[in-house]
Amino acid sequence: MSNFSKPTDSSTSQAGSQTIERARHPAADALGMFVKNRAAAVALFVLVLIVVAGIVGPIVYETDPYDMVWAPFSPPGQEGFLFGTDYLGRDILAGILHGTRVSLLVGLSAALMTVFIGVTVGALAGFFRGWVEELLMRITEFFQVLPTLLFSMVIVALFGPTLTVITIAIGAVSWPAVARITRAEFLRIRELEYVTASRASGTRNAKLMFSVILPNALPPIIVQAALMVGSAILFEAGLSFLGLTDPNIVSWGQIIGSNRPYILDASYTVTFPGVAIFVTVLCLSLVGDGLNDALNPKLRQR
Amino acid sequence: MRTLLKQLAVASATAVMLATSAVAADEPTKGGTLVFSLAQQPRHLNPAVQSGTATGAPGAQLFAAPLRYDEDWTPQPYLAESWEIAEDGLSVTLNLVKNAVFHDGQPITSEDVAFSVKTIQENHPFKTMFAPVTEVQTPDAHTAILKLSKPHPALMLAMSSQLMPIIPKHVYGDGQDPKAHPQNSDDVVGSGPFKLVEFKRDEHIILERFDDFFMEGRPYLDKMVMRIIKDPSARAIGLENGEIHLSTFEVVARDIKRLQKVDSLTATPDGYAAIGPLDWLAFNTASGNTADVNVRKAIAYAIDRDFILNAIHLGIADEASTGIHPGSPLYSGDVETYALDLDKANQLLDDAGYEKGDDGMRFKLSVDFGWPEMKPKAEYTKAALKKIGIDVTVRSSPDFPSWAKRISNYDFDMTWDTVFNWGDPVIGVHRTYQSSNIIPGVIWSNTQSYKNDRVDELMEMAGVETDEAKRAELYAEFQKIVTDELPLYTTNTLPYHTIYNNKVGNPPIGIWASSSPMDLVYIKE
Repeated sequence: MSNFSKPTDSSTSQAGSQTIERARHPAADALGMFVKNRAAAVALFVLVLIVVAGIVGPIVYETDPYDMVWAPFSPPGQEGFLFGTDYLGRDILAGILHGTRVSLLVGLSAALMTVFIGVTVGALAGFFRGWVEELLMRITEFFQVLPTLLFSMVIVALFGPTLTVITIAIGAVSWPAVARITRAEFLRIRELEYVTASRASGTRNAKLMFSVILPNALPPIIVQAALMVGSAILFEAGLSFLGLTDPNIVSWGQIIGSNRPYILDASYTVTFPGVAIFVTVLCLSLVGDGLNDALNPKLRQR
Repeated sequence: MRTLLKQLAVASATAVMLATSAVAADEPTKGGTLVFSLAQQPRHLNPAVQSGTATGAPGAQLFAAPLRYDEDWTPQPYLAESWEIAEDGLSVTLNLVKNAVFHDGQPITSEDVAFSVKTIQENHPFKTMFAPVTEVQTPDAHTAILKLSKPHPALMLAMSSQLMPIIPKHVYGDGQDPKAHPQNSDDVVGSGPFKLVEFKRDEHIILERFDDFFMEGRPYLDKMVMRIIKDPSARAIGLENGEIHLSTFEVVARDIKRLQKVDSLTATPDGYAAIGPLDWLAFNTASGNTADVNVRKAIAYAIDRDFILNAIHLGIADEASTGIHPGSPLYSGDVETYALDLDKANQLLDDAGYEKGDDGMRFKLSVDFGWPEMKPKAEYTKAALKKIGIDVTVRSSPDFPSWAKRISNYDFDMTWDTVFNWGDPVIGVHRTYQSSNIIPGVIWSNTQSYKNDRVDELMEMAGVETDEAKRAELYAEFQKIVTDELPLYTTNTLPYHTIYNNKVGNPPIGIWASSSPMDLVYIKE
């Protein structure tokens, strides 16, 4: 750590010593840990900017990404098109701004789906053990050994490349990791004393699972979910690159996919959406790291 | 003075080059391996039961045909050393060469010709090609007489390798379904200049010189490797760095433009006259809003052909406006060309009662495209039709068969498509318009469900008309009607290019491109 952190350290420790009687709210603690990881803090800031750009961008920058506004393949910066135009003379900047929403949405919904399936499967397996666990884990393993990209390509090819199908395809191949993490956490926590205490006081299974164990199992799942958003965005871009994309919806991957044939002549048409994907996924990954620091209680004692 | 000297120098250098190339053309180098890239995976290698140039390229090397064609559409002897057409046009006699053998050593006889015609009639999708052939008489082993029920001017052009390969009766006549015969892909017993060594799907087809080929001293090459490379950029890079010697049916304008500048390569649009590829936007005339001819016309007026020619094809494609290729002697330009006119388009839709809604849109349509190269046109259609208040959804298909299934089962509004004329209109044009050719499940039939009695009649008459001028007149009226009723809107010729390394001598730039025998191709020292 550089000399910047020193005063902060001492101030927190001072603050800590002053309020030593009153336990700090764990969220505040976590936030402190998160901010300490400065890469994560910067990444979060950039991510917020990207989200804002996705929400406000299309409203401020009105150009329809499907309108042909200028001659095809105008290089960036010319004729007032900051990122240039593509093979039909469509504004790439407009495409990237409109695509932000879609790419983030695909990332978020695929991650949510992953978490939902993963947590349900993992929780049931970890809580009930026995034949339930055997069955669910065998299913999980089955999905785990399938090559993910190929499997999602099959789903998209079968049901047609619409955004919903693509999101479901990504979710359907990504959940095993979450399921395994959740199961591991459940296996650990279900043996802890406070769970035994709850069980002894007659708490129902459902409540035990979702009100007692799950909140304590959440931290690693949240970290995994943050990383999942990034990998889902990458996944969508990969599918688009292979041409499995909905041509009626602009996403970053779709821009790259449709401009791929021109990569040797007009590389900027794929560079800008590529950079957008790169920055977003990097930020999500760094934020994931930051969350890991913040939510991992063992680190906090260091 | 300096310029004059320079010009002199250039002139003499050109003269020397011409002289040397003339010598080289006279004395082709024998031996060597040609690496040729195929953009599509052929389903199998037997063009007798499979249409398409993916099968045509290896097929024309493996199988010989009665005739071959030079650049001027003039028939040349091949398996038939001579031929006569009867005065009444009702029979064609082929005199076969005597020393021709199949790759297994069996002689090629008139029996095999008769068998090949029968197999093609029964199994090839181009039904009109040999439809008037009632029987093939075989008075002796080297004479085959094709009897016709009516004059059939399209027949002679159909006797080329792409459409009439001579296949061995003793192999393919064993009772198995010729379309699914195992020897369509493996152990092919052909009659052509090259024999099959290996066909490895998605990788390559390796062909080897057939030493007992009936044309003395040919083929020049020892070996031909056809690499199956579907990605146009990968092919472009391969051509550029010399890994690939020859590629045909190249169509991506930017790649072609770039490769034209490479010193070691030549890119030419020559060689596709008989293929006659046209790009068009086909409409479903049986259901939905596109069943209304005014909607179809409005769409045609709203699509800017110049944009397609100059922006999408970068100026390397030619304008086309009817279902007949402009390179054909039967093409007629005296038709409505639907030059861009948004006011007229809007007027047509207003008059037909399609009111604009609050969002400025009148109705929704979908547009399909069969393969990735067509996607820019589909996306362009979306942008262009928005201007006249038609909300277009671009539908992509995961692969070619899914697209073909949708279109051939009439599950579409509009689709971009490329269709080949295949030489004579009887073979490649009639199928698109004949009301008798509306066959569910068959792609490149009359998938537009277009019906017009006069058009049917005109095609019927033109098909048997032996007088070229009268024939052209009939086709002119035909073209006028179909561009007026617009079951499909033709925009341009597909700018197929052949790209070859300058080391390649005699590249296949006749009328059939790579679907012709490449026995004269050689690799320069």
